[in-house]
Amino acid sequence: MRFRYALLLGLWAGSIGAIHAQDDLLGMLNEGTPAPEKEPVTAIFKGTKIINGQSPELPAPGVMQFMILHRFGAFSDDFFYNFFGLDNAEIRLSLEYAPVHWLSVGVGRSSFQKTYDGFAKYRLMRQSTGSKGFPLSIVGYSTANVQTLRWQDGQPHNESERWTYSHQLVLARKFSDRFSLAVTPTLVHFNVVERADDPNDVLAIGLGGRFKLNQRVSFNAEYFPQLNPAQYGPEGQRETYQNSLSLGFDIETGGHVFQLFFTNSRGLNDPSWIARTPGEWGQGDVYFGFNISRVFTLKPPVLPGE
Amino acid sequence: MKMLHTLLISTLMGTSALMAQLPSVSSVKPAAVAEKWQTRTAYVRFFSTTPVEDIEAVNNQVSSILDPLKGEFAFQVPIKGFVFEKALMQEHFNENYLESGKHPNATFTGKIVDFDPSKLTGTGKIKWVLRGKMSIHGQEKEMDIPIELTPKANKGVIEAKFKVVPEDFGIKIPSAVRNKIAKDIEVSVKADYAG
Repeated sequence: MRFRYALLLGLWAGSIGAIHAQDDLLGMLNEGTPAPEKEPVTAIFKGTKIINGQSPELPAPGVMQFMILHRFGAFSDDFFYNFFGLDNAEIRLSLEYAPVHWLSVGVGRSSFQKTYDGFAKYRLMRQSTGSKGFPLSIVGYSTANVQTLRWQDGQPHNESERWTYSHQLVLARKFSDRFSLAVTPTLVHFNVVERADDPNDVLAIGLGGRFKLNQRVSFNAEYFPQLNPAQYGPEGQRETYQNSLSLGFDIETGGHVFQLFFTNSRGLNDPSWIARTPGEWGQGDVYFGFNISRVFTLKPPVLPGE
Repeated sequence: MKMLHTLLISTLMGTSALMAQLPSVSSVKPAAVAEKWQTRTAYVRFFSTTPVEDIEAVNNQVSSILDPLKGEFAFQVPIKGFVFEKALMQEHFNENYLESGKHPNATFTGKIVDFDPSKLTGTGKIKWVLRGKMSIHGQEKEMDIPIELTPKANKGVIEAKFKVVPEDFGIKIPSAVRNKIAKDIEVSVKADYAG
């Protein structure tokens, strides 16, 4: 028995020298090719948003991205009377442009409280493989938002009362081709709050993930627990603000990513969905929503010549 | 036990067959081995055209090696090296179609049909056929590719144009984009071993 193994091993070792010559050529090619020291990991998430929150992705340099976000009315809010929530839908349009690979800037308009916003997304680190690789993508995201409702109460107001801000740091990692996770420490600032004992700065830690079901569809989930939620609603009444929870799917078609999901957040600009979500999943305050992004290549990359 | 026997016998047979080839392999002079033609900047371009959309991508990080004594060759194409005009297309190409994370390289290895090394000393264009194994997306297919070889500086330049059918390599085109991606993709290659 032992002899047989020895013989087998010996013969096998003898045959190594005679590996097919063409594979040998391929081997010679590989020998001379050093493994790249650093190779970026691409498509940690497919879109620039996971659902409501930011993914670590930016539009490619030279690309302009147009996004339409849409939330239908809640199931709990006279759903059929409101024609499946279509009559009381919220919408946000945004346009952004990435002049360089690490920066994207844009503007948006949400129907909720007639809010305009400006935002910047900037990549600090990129997940990469190789001997000089880095395990995480780190991306900053900041927004400034101004609601433009007419004052209705006849009181004197300062225009700065309209402004809210958010700052986020997206820490993300693609664990495998199918699974990616993002942790997003978040600070939301309100210039004015309903009561003096409500916090002007709300902290939250967002969690978002995707799991690819097949080449073109992924399941996404997102949860944004707040550490110090506000206690009072817009009329000064007691209010228990909820943490935003969203579940849905990314569907890729040729030129765009289509996201379909359910969420308890109706607001579309960052401060409102992160820190002003009254809707409770358990009460049926669930909104069906979709995001559509369409990209336009304004400055195509130079293709290498012969 | 029976399995072991079978394994042993088959290995024996395989090895003896290989051993029979051994002398010819080892008789190649070391000096000749060093003279293999090689490049790391060969150029591959592919082009897909339909009435709806034209898609083009180019890659100048292709490596190739050719043995001018035996006519054996190998090409290696890093899939991530393809540059598209639209970044999103490039991402789809890597993520969904070629799955470059799993299959980082396409390769083509084989031998020139009716190879005659004496022709390489001339100056005129030589028409030959590369016969070998094309591997794309982890799937292999035997292919014959007509080439034109132009001698240059004791080496040469290979140029080729051929068609590849994505379906042959298990690359599925979803119905939603079928009118945008051609059934067969035009590929052109230029490998300058003297450059």
